[in-house]
Order: sequence, then C-alpha cells, then structure tokens
Amino acid sequence: MNERLAIREYLQNLLRQTGDRNGFADNDSLLMSGRLDSVDTLDLVVFLEEKYGIDFAARGFDKNDLDSLDGIMALIGATPPGVSL
Amino acid sequence: MRVIPQLDAYPRLVSVVQTPIGKISAICAFAFLLLLNGEALYLELAAIVAILSFFPKYRRPLISAATLYWLLIHPNWIRQGLIRRVASDEGVGPGWGLVLGAAVVMCVVFGGLGVLLHVVRARPGHFAGRRPVLVLVGSFLVLLAVAGTLQLHGWPRIALWMLLALSGPYLWFFAYALGDYASKAPDPYRIQFGTFFPFWVGSGDSSTPIGKGAAYLRKVEAHSAKDLAVVQLKAVKLLMWLFVLHLLLLVFRAVVFGDLPPAATEFLRTHDFRLLHLGVPKLETAFDQTAAGHAPPLHLLWASVVAHFLEAILAVPLMGNMVVACSRMAGFNLLRNTYKPLYATTIADFWNRFYFYFKELLVEFFFFPTYVRYFKKHRRLRLAAATFAAATLGNMVYHFCRDIHYVFELGFWGALTGFQVYAFYAMVLGASIAISQLRGKRAPESLPFHRRVMASVGVIGFYCLLEIFNFEGRSHSLRTHLAFFGNLLPLAR
Repeated sequence: MNERLAIREYLQNLLRQTGDRNGFADNDSLLMSGRLDSVDTLDLVVFLEEKYGIDFAARGFDKNDLDSLDGIMALIGATPPGVSL
Repeated sequence: MRVIPQLDAYPRLVSVVQTPIGKISAICAFAFLLLLNGEALYLELAAIVAILSFFPKYRRPLISAATLYWLLIHPNWIRQGLIRRVASDEGVGPGWGLVLGAAVVMCVVFGGLGVLLHVVRARPGHFAGRRPVLVLVGSFLVLLAVAGTLQLHGWPRIALWMLLALSGPYLWFFAYALGDYASKAPDPYRIQFGTFFPFWVGSGDSSTPIGKGAAYLRKVEAHSAKDLAVVQLKAVKLLMWLFVLHLLLLVFRAVVFGDLPPAATEFLRTHDFRLLHLGVPKLETAFDQTAAGHAPPLHLLWASVVAHFLEAILAVPLMGNMVVACSRMAGFNLLRNTYKPLYATTIADFWNRFYFYFKELLVEFFFFPTYVRYFKKHRRLRLAAATFAAATLGNMVYHFCRDIHYVFELGFWGALTGFQVYAFYAMVLGASIAISQLRGKRAPESLPFHRRVMASVGVIGFYCLLEIFNFEGRSHSLRTHLAFFGNLLPLAR
C-alpha cells in the first residue's frame, strides 16, 4: 500500500479512537491543534519507530515533525526505512 | 442549553468583527469583560490588542515591543522583593544603583541566552547544542546551590541572587526558544523575545508559559481577517464564561467559608445584615489547628478538604484562561488552560484537563526526552519511566527552581529537605498517572452513564485527597501532613 495512504489510515484510526470522525488535509495540524493528545503522540512515535526504524533519540525529537501528514512524510523521507540515524 | 452563546459560530457577527467598527466593538467588549473579571490593567491590554488588531501584518514584532513594554513597566514576575532583601542584607539600599545593577544583569541573561541559541544553531553536535535545556536548567540549579551554600558577601552575593531572581522566571520560556532554534525554521531572536513573558502571561499570576513558545504560536496564529475575527470572538466568549465562573466562586466562598469581598463586607456591616454560611474552615486553617492538636470535628475536616478542591476547580480556570483569552485577542487560537476537569474519567485525563500548559511543559521537556531515549524495548516500563520523569522529577524541578526564596531563607539543603511534602505529592502523582496510563488510554465512550459518573467521582476523590500534600511551602513536615490525612479516618482519631 502507498505509504502516505497507510499513514493517513493510521492517523484516521487514532482520531477515531478520540471520537473525532472528521477528515483532515495533508497539511492540517493534528497535535498542536489538540485533535490528537500526548498519549496519541506516543502511539505515533512507537508506530514510526517500529515501522520505519526512526530513532528519535539520535535525530532529536520535535513534535512539529509529527504535527501533520506532510510533516510525517517529510520525516520518513529524511530517514531511510530500517536505518537508525 | 448553553450558558454562553456561540459568538464565533454566527457568520454575520464574524463578518462584522472584520470591519473597523466591529473590531473596535470587540476590543471594547474585551476591555469591559476584563474589567468585570477584575483585571486592573484592562486599558493597557485593550490598547495593545487594538494595535495588534489593526496591524496584524506586524503582529509578531509588535508583540515583541509589547513584551518589552510589559518588562519595563509591569515586571510582576520578577522577585523584586528578594533582590531588595539580599541588597539590604549587604547594606545596599533601594535606589538607582540597584536598578542599574538589575539592568546590567538582565542584559547578561538575554545575552547568555543569545549565546546558547547560537550554539544550538551553529554547533548541533556539541553537548550544549544537543541538550540545551539540560544545560540551561542544570546551570541554574548549580548557581542556586552555590548561592545557597557558599558564604558570599557584598556585590558578588547581590549579583548572584540578582542573576537567579531575574533568570529564574524565564527558565521555561527560554527552554521553548531553545527547542525552536533546534528546528528547521525558527523565528529570529527579536521575534522569540516576544514569547518571553508575552504581555498576556505577564498580565496574569502564572509563571507557566501559557502559549508555550514560538513554534506553537506559529501554528495557532490567525492568518486571515476571518480567522482573527473568529479567534477574537472566542476570546470574548471565554471572558463571558470566566465572568460566570467569577460569580460562582464569589457565591461559593460566601456560602461555604463566609468570605466576602471588602465592599460587600462593609455593606453588610453598615446595614447590620448577617451572612449565613456553612462555616467550613479553610484547609490551611484546619491544617494548622490539627497540627496544634486541636483538630476540628471530623465532618468539618472532610468539608474543608472537599471545599478546598472545589475552590481550586473554580479558581484555577480563572487564572489560566484569562491569559488564554488575552492571547486569543492578540490573534493566537490557544487551547484553554483548563477544560472541563470534572469530565475526566481517568487520573491521567484529569491532569491533562486541569492545567494544560504546565502538563505540556513537563511532557515536552521531561516526558518525551525520556520516552525516546530509555527502555525502548520495554513498552510499559518505558511509559512508566517517562511519566515519572515528567510528573515527579520535572514537577519537582519546576517548583524548586521557581521558589528560590526558600533557598535564600533556609539555605540550599534546608530548602531541599523542606521540600519533602511536595516530593511525596509528586511521587504519588507520578505513580498514579503512570498506573492510569498503563491501564488504558481513556474510558470507552460506550461506558454506561452511571459507570462514567462513578469513574469521574473516583478521580475527583483521588485528587481531593492528594491536595492535602500539594503543599509548596516548607513550614510543615511530611509527618504532619500524614497525621492530618490520618485524622480524616474516623478510627485513627
């Protein structure tokens, strides 16, 4: 499956768990806007660590990078799958 | 039925507030509501908001200018009393010499931050570039230990305490700026300056960075005339709600404690009226009486614990959300600081709802740095360790760095050992939030109503009792607090 689509589906699922069934654009803010909370961010971190091998300890953790689908795609693009920076 | 109308949902009103007359009307409503909510500096706040509303293109530089104005004219967050006490100890009276000294130290503080920001940007591989917040907070704690243990005299002592008193309140504002400088496109220093006790925080009583830092403000800033109108109407709506809360708090204090504002007391005295009230003692009074061996009757003891919690539930939103309302008028759609805390069905959820920006500070600077570094192979341990780092360690560090006057009065070790009650509070809080998070994210929406109510009551009961240990002073030991807690149990009396 297309990566963007897979992540969108994952985010949509996280939103659904909070009772938020509204859609979102690729550049919509999800964390800073409060649609997803800190606990959701943890799930997202684990998802990105496990699926894309992103090592936040090494590359530095910035919540802004995870704020939107575009931000996450840029993050994944900057980190080759399975490689710990 | 809604108590406050959804002003921001009326398209015509949103259109009107985009016109010059509409803007002026919204600003007048803002000023009037600030006055009703007891804000003495309502005219200055309204004037700043008016300038920002008519020149939104220059919002960020104007906010920096307003921040500078507030620092020069209303620096309420700086412990001027502490500086004067240290100076007086060293035989230096208040006067221009002290003011000049403070100005020089302030320049050193902002200059030092500039150097650290440069290191973050130019030398990201250097330890100070990788862990700038650790360097910042660690340096502050070392200086505090030096000031509280070494026997310094004269101007070196005054200068050191001045440095602590002037930099301490900015610690976490600087931490957000350092975080932003590590990102791809940070704001320049002159714009960051506007986030160091911006006028909306400076006008309140909180030292928490409500509105966080530049990165968050960029995300929530209104970029069009319509966005600005909507967010300003949200500010007016929030102030209307706060006025209702103010009235409720007034009635609550009168009925429960018999507390009235001075004007109302004078009115009752003049007209020979008597106020009927429940005569519940304040928690501090009940506590002092119990510590002195004259504990109030059991029902009054319980009533004072519950009343203390309910008073906090009404008072805390007033403090934090006034700041949020001012920032919204300035064009930033900030989330509320306190949002429906009684709706929380888990301990972690309540903590998230009660004081959002303090929780966010701890999450940002303690939780995530721990979470992404340690115990990555052990999911539950990882979550528990990060929660402890935030709710226990971070919570303690924040309050110890904030209340530096205890170090001045008791010495470093005296202040540290006297911190035992708050340390206990933070330990219990950390453990409870960790367990709450490990048990599950949130109560399922499908829970029957009575189970949701039971869950909420359980959470409220927990925080009600924990408040007994939420004591930042150094006058009573943990043993005294535990004895008070024991007095609440009928069999232990």
